[in-house]
Amino acid sequence: MPGVTPAISVKGLVKRYGDRNVVDHLDLEVHQGEVLAFLGRNGAGKTTTTEILEGYRERDGGEVLVLGQDPATAGADWRAKLGIVLQESRPLGALTVRETLRLYAAYFPDPRGVDEVIALVGLEEQASQRAGRLSGGQQRRLDVGVALIGNPELVFLDEPTTGFDPDARRQFWDVISGLRDLGTTVFLTTHYMDEAQVLADRVAVMRDGKVAALGTPAELQALRGDVEIRFVLPHGLGLDALPALSASPRLAGTEVRIETTAPTADLAVLCGWADGRGLELEGLTVERPTLEDVFLAIAGDQAEATT
Amino acid sequence: MNMLREQVRADLLAFSRRPETLFFTVFLPVIFLVLFEAIFGDESVTLASGDVVAQSALQVPAFMVMGVISASFVALAITVVNRRETGTFKRVRGTPAPAWVLIAGQVVTSLVIAILMVLVMLVLGSFAYGVRVDLDHLPWLVAGVLIGAIAFSCLGMMLAALTPSSEAAPPLANVVVLPLYFISGVFVPIESLPNWLGTLAGWLPVAPFVKVATWAYVPATTTPWRSLGLLIAWGLLGLIIASWRFRWTPRRG
Repeated sequence: MPGVTPAISVKGLVKRYGDRNVVDHLDLEVHQGEVLAFLGRNGAGKTTTTEILEGYRERDGGEVLVLGQDPATAGADWRAKLGIVLQESRPLGALTVRETLRLYAAYFPDPRGVDEVIALVGLEEQASQRAGRLSGGQQRRLDVGVALIGNPELVFLDEPTTGFDPDARRQFWDVISGLRDLGTTVFLTTHYMDEAQVLADRVAVMRDGKVAALGTPAELQALRGDVEIRFVLPHGLGLDALPALSASPRLAGTEVRIETTAPTADLAVLCGWADGRGLELEGLTVERPTLEDVFLAIAGDQAEATT
Repeated sequence: MNMLREQVRADLLAFSRRPETLFFTVFLPVIFLVLFEAIFGDESVTLASGDVVAQSALQVPAFMVMGVISASFVALAITVVNRRETGTFKRVRGTPAPAWVLIAGQVVTSLVIAILMVLVMLVLGSFAYGVRVDLDHLPWLVAGVLIGAIAFSCLGMMLAALTPSSEAAPPLANVVVLPLYFISGVFVPIESLPNWLGTLAGWLPVAPFVKVATWAYVPATTTPWRSLGLLIAWGLLGLIIASWRFRWTPRRG
């Protein structure tokens, strides 16, 4: 349900460090009420972009509107509509969950109830525990609770599940899904593909300071339509012994890989060829690329990452 | 105002739950006073004016000053650096809370602790060591302690602004104050220092503060206008450097 005005609208955003454009003419729109996953390798400019949207950093060029206002000049009334979970922040260890939320509630003009937020992030049993004694996952949920206390229209989450065990991540995902049900717009920075697949309505992949791909997880997956046929090269044969196919095969170890847009025809040719020679194609599989593969292809090689 | 009240409440709670700051800020000055009283409590001192006073009349205000400085300078600087480096300040700057609430929260919290320290010392001095504040001078003591506490809060904010990391904050703060206690009449009477050291200490902020507090206990001396002026000047210097160098975001990363 995209709203009339986008929650976030970015046109030609530029941020320079030295003479390098960390963010290089980035365009992006985030609809009201959607969960947008913002992906990219470390050093792709994710956090820089996010902190410009949050009003923490100044930009060197371009237009940015967040909830209809320019973050560089927006004031307290604007911040009252945001919830921010920073990458590095931890709650004050000496205060309990309830005391922490009570303090942050006092910063906002129209806060949610403390108990309501405790229930939202699933910390009922830890409500009277000091934040310093919570597990990493619970602390992060308290962090999200702090971001929700002001009853925000838009929530920024910067790599919220880094370092979580699988259980903690799943619990965290439930919290974020709950947010979407409340109609909150969520801008989620992550480098976990499965997280984006589970949570996001749309995924934006950042590379070299730009949005390199944008779409629903299914749309992104369709970007690489190729299906890969794999099997072990029969003993004693070379690649040149294979029949003519729609795409040229390559060898990975002993495994033959054929990226094809015509898997049915190619399989028919291959199977006919093998059957005619009495060969069994060991390890024969046909695979669609995962979102992970798509991400790897779009986001670029790890070696290109600078930080 | 509700915001400031909640901030001070939370800051006081957090302070009271950190055993190490509680010990160094609240208990150490009291322990020092008790020890010094046990050792030198019965002695009396002849002042430069020729008056003879009980050693206790000098020690009680001296350790009172130490308590105030512990709260408003040492503890304040350590907490502020910690809040900055853990990202707490950055995070609160992302809420509608105005910046002054964070600063005021810290300063008011340290003032509350400083006033608590003064009360503890007043009571100890009066009931355990038999030295009383001259009633005519009580308003002066209140004013002097407030001016001193605010001046040292400003210096504490300055130190916080100049301190690079959470780890560096406690040693730096103590490296600054410990030598000052020695040369400013807290541990050792200022009269027993070499002249040049006494003169130097006289221009630094601790000795004037001790003078102002002592004046309430030893009324014969003249009104310490100069000392009050020096305290205010140091406070202003701290304020200027603090506002010049202060930042909300962690230094690392």
